[in-house]
Amino acid sequence: MWDAALIALERFASLSHLGMLTAGVLAGTVIGILPGLGGIACVAILLPFIYTMDVHSAMILLVGSLAVVHTSDTITSVLIGTPGSAAAAATILDGHPLAKQGQAARALSAAFLSSLIGGLIGTVFLTLSLPIARPLVLLFSSPELLMLCVLGLSFAGFLTGGAPLKGGMAACLGLLLGSVGSAPADAVNRYTFGQLYLLDGIPLVGVALGIFGIAEIIDLLAKGGQIAERIGLGSGWLQGVKDVVEHWGIVVRGSLIGVWAGILPGIGATAGSWMAYGHVVAMASDRERFGKGDIRGVIGPESANNSVEAGDFIPTLLFSVPGGAPSAILLGALYFYGIQPGPRMVQENLDLVFTIIWSFAIANTMGAALCLFLSPALARLTWVPFAQLAPAIVVTIFFGAFQSSEHFGDIYAMLGLGLMGWLMKQLGWPRAPFLVGFVLTKPTEQYLWLSISRYDFEWLLRPGVIVLGLLLLASIYWSVREKPGDKKIPAEESAEGAVVLGKASSILFTLSVLILSAAALYEARSFPYLGAIFPIAATIPAIFMGAAQLVFELRASRPAPGAETRRKIRTALGHFVSLLAFLLLILFFGFSIATATFTFVFLYGVAKMRWFSALIYTGCLLATMELMGRLLGLHWPQGIVFG
Amino acid sequence: MRIVRFMAGWQIRSYLTVIGLSFALAAPVLAAAPYYEGKTIEAIIPFPVAGGSDVWIRTIAPYLEKNIPGNPKFTFRNIGGGRGIPGMMEFGLKAKPDGLLVLVSSATNYFPVLLGDKAAKYDFRQWKPLLVNPVGGVMYASPASGVKRVEDLAKAKELIYGGISAIGLDMIPLITFELLDLDAKGVLGFRGRGEARIAFERGEINLDYQTTPAYNATVVPLVKEGKAIPLMSFGQLDDHGSIVRDPAIPELPTVPEVYEKLKGKKPSGKFWETYKVFMPSAFAVQKILWIKGDAPAEALRVFYAASDRLEKDKEFLTKTDKILGGYPLLRGDRLEKTIQQAFQIDAETQRFVKEWVGKKYRVKFD
Repeated sequence: MWDAALIALERFASLSHLGMLTAGVLAGTVIGILPGLGGIACVAILLPFIYTMDVHSAMILLVGSLAVVHTSDTITSVLIGTPGSAAAAATILDGHPLAKQGQAARALSAAFLSSLIGGLIGTVFLTLSLPIARPLVLLFSSPELLMLCVLGLSFAGFLTGGAPLKGGMAACLGLLLGSVGSAPADAVNRYTFGQLYLLDGIPLVGVALGIFGIAEIIDLLAKGGQIAERIGLGSGWLQGVKDVVEHWGIVVRGSLIGVWAGILPGIGATAGSWMAYGHVVAMASDRERFGKGDIRGVIGPESANNSVEAGDFIPTLLFSVPGGAPSAILLGALYFYGIQPGPRMVQENLDLVFTIIWSFAIANTMGAALCLFLSPALARLTWVPFAQLAPAIVVTIFFGAFQSSEHFGDIYAMLGLGLMGWLMKQLGWPRAPFLVGFVLTKPTEQYLWLSISRYDFEWLLRPGVIVLGLLLLASIYWSVREKPGDKKIPAEESAEGAVVLGKASSILFTLSVLILSAAALYEARSFPYLGAIFPIAATIPAIFMGAAQLVFELRASRPAPGAETRRKIRTALGHFVSLLAFLLLILFFGFSIATATFTFVFLYGVAKMRWFSALIYTGCLLATMELMGRLLGLHWPQGIVFG
Repeated sequence: MRIVRFMAGWQIRSYLTVIGLSFALAAPVLAAAPYYEGKTIEAIIPFPVAGGSDVWIRTIAPYLEKNIPGNPKFTFRNIGGGRGIPGMMEFGLKAKPDGLLVLVSSATNYFPVLLGDKAAKYDFRQWKPLLVNPVGGVMYASPASGVKRVEDLAKAKELIYGGISAIGLDMIPLITFELLDLDAKGVLGFRGRGEARIAFERGEINLDYQTTPAYNATVVPLVKEGKAIPLMSFGQLDDHGSIVRDPAIPELPTVPEVYEKLKGKKPSGKFWETYKVFMPSAFAVQKILWIKGDAPAEALRVFYAASDRLEKDKEFLTKTDKILGGYPLLRGDRLEKTIQQAFQIDAETQRFVKEWVGKKYRVKFD
């Protein structure tokens, strides 16, 4: 085995292979930074280039790019509060507040270092487990996988900040949104309203970009000015390194969680990084700082999201079953070379397996170094007036949402959820449980379905299920246990920060959630068999919690928002309307003309740039988007007016 | 200096344009230029990147480029989601009679039509098949189920089959269980055939099928270790449309053969009728490359000729063996009747299938 490892390593002494790896790392870094574009976009862009290469070069290129996406996507999450890829959303919770406090450098260096170590631990684990991975994976049947998903869901409880009712409802809403589309086994189409687009459910990219990205952009625009005060980056870098050293336990645990989330089918990078975040909060003795800029909240998910990809190689290479969408594409590429991964892979293509492993490890290191090198420059972006950054971010986000399924539905969903995310933020509703609920709905429901149809209810008595069940109970106990420090958090303030909107809006929002849940429950009455379990499990608790919340809100006295707040809200809504205007422009004139118009008008009118600079900016942005669209083979629909 | 060179380049280019233009004008007179010369053919794939159909067309496209006179370039467009329906409809709407847009289809695209899904607004009768690639399926059992050879199936108890959805490819094995009267339960909801195979390996299910390429790569090792018993293939169609042994796995009996073995008579009845309707779409004509029906006759001809040449092309055959699954790339015109027949279903069979799936597997049709 080790001979093969050395032979594979020698491959990287060749200039052409090293060049291939560098190309992959560069592509992965850039795509990771662009909001909403992640591993899938990365592999999809590089795929057309591999058709002329030998299999080793192709794998070096693809794996090299995949290995760094989850390192560089952190940059966007921390600096702009917009997920660089869906899996980086968990890093926003603490990373972005740190950036706002002028500690971007610390957050970034801690993130890159934990990403790097996480990736390397993942690689080592992957290598060591090659001989025993098959029996290990076969240990978990559907019921055990179900319990792992439920355990992941229970972590949502740790993410509710100081607002358990609102957090609970957010998680329920996430579950409800996740059950849109066809139920497992295509038994019934739920909440699709005859729309083909909704059959497969709403893609994660659109949801993550909306609930965090759009909401944050509107908020930053309304606030005005730049993201952070201009203070020196200074020793922040070193502080981040020290943080990682101090919390090495989190790094190790986080990366192991990541590896497992990758090995087990259907969980994926996003759920893995949230689980790592949840576990950090759960294990912490002091939880007040989470969501407001706790470095542990950056280290946890970052050490997980790289190792997920490493873990993912095990089912992909040994079982021919991809864990996530990027590895599905990798698998397709292997098919193209006539290699069908499977049990014989380790015997017949061990050389190739090690090429993949080495590419991952080396690219991971190169990527972290590159990001560290880029970050001082990128961190300065937080000093630029945000209005000047906004058009580029908005255009990229629209692009990112659209490319995930080439359907306008993604953009509608992103904008709708963006408004909802913004409202949640202003009303002190934690958004993390929403995303956790959404991400885990599909695998949880699938394994519940399989467990019941295979074992009826006998699965509850399996030893693995009982062990995981006890762990679940412990996790629930931990999350509700009162801690001495917790009482200091006022009931109204959550991890999301102070409540901005007044009593009337608060009541109105809770009421809407109640009505939505009731309507969804009513609709669920016609779903057959197990197809109704999830919608019911999401809506009934939401209705009870909503009613309780409503009572609290009616009784609470809260001063009406002052003139300053009202102005801020008006500005924010105005900016949301400008995003709608951009959508309309795309519908009428196509993407290119819309991008040019929106960018220029925004820069000139809102950001008050000089017309000449605005023109150059617009030109560069448009050219970049056109190039990306070309590379991705994206087909924007023609506008109604021009086409 | 640079400007001068640029000017020179521009001049040469304009000369070339003039020359090109005069050739273009002369072309109708000479009428010798191949139809696809200098043209780009766009292939719509109604599935995401790197799925089976995507890899299939991207693998064979370079060989088509080489073997079609005029060497056209292929570009690809993936329209995933919505059970492949949006991609199919896009082709129906956008294809012009110029033969520059083609479509790849797979079993997923045929089942909505056979099941009368109103959302599937596309009509295969308006298109012509250019190339067809069959695929096969092999059913196998775990020795733990008590099945040591195919004859044991009749008395086997508590067979558990793992599948994805009752209205997809799994319908073929599910119909087979009814046809053969097996005591088999379908556990559906796996995300892919690979996941079902993992469940087979960990003993969660004891009856499974894989397509031939996947079977060769992932199940044959299990067979050698004695952990899986091959049972039967779903069969292929001969020139007359009857079900015959699968040439890729000729040693295994087909479903109707197993029926005869177990029951001592030729298969008949409702489930046999259903099997005959659904099996071809799922396997025998699984991958099809389509062109619009009113495309120029020359466009069709060059594709058929390319298929004939590729049949004898050693490099093509070895390089694409795994992708084509050990099956030939067939000329569409030879199979046109079979294909169009495969997508026809009589109202009674359709009602019967929907009722059965609805009741037994609790599928709710919109």
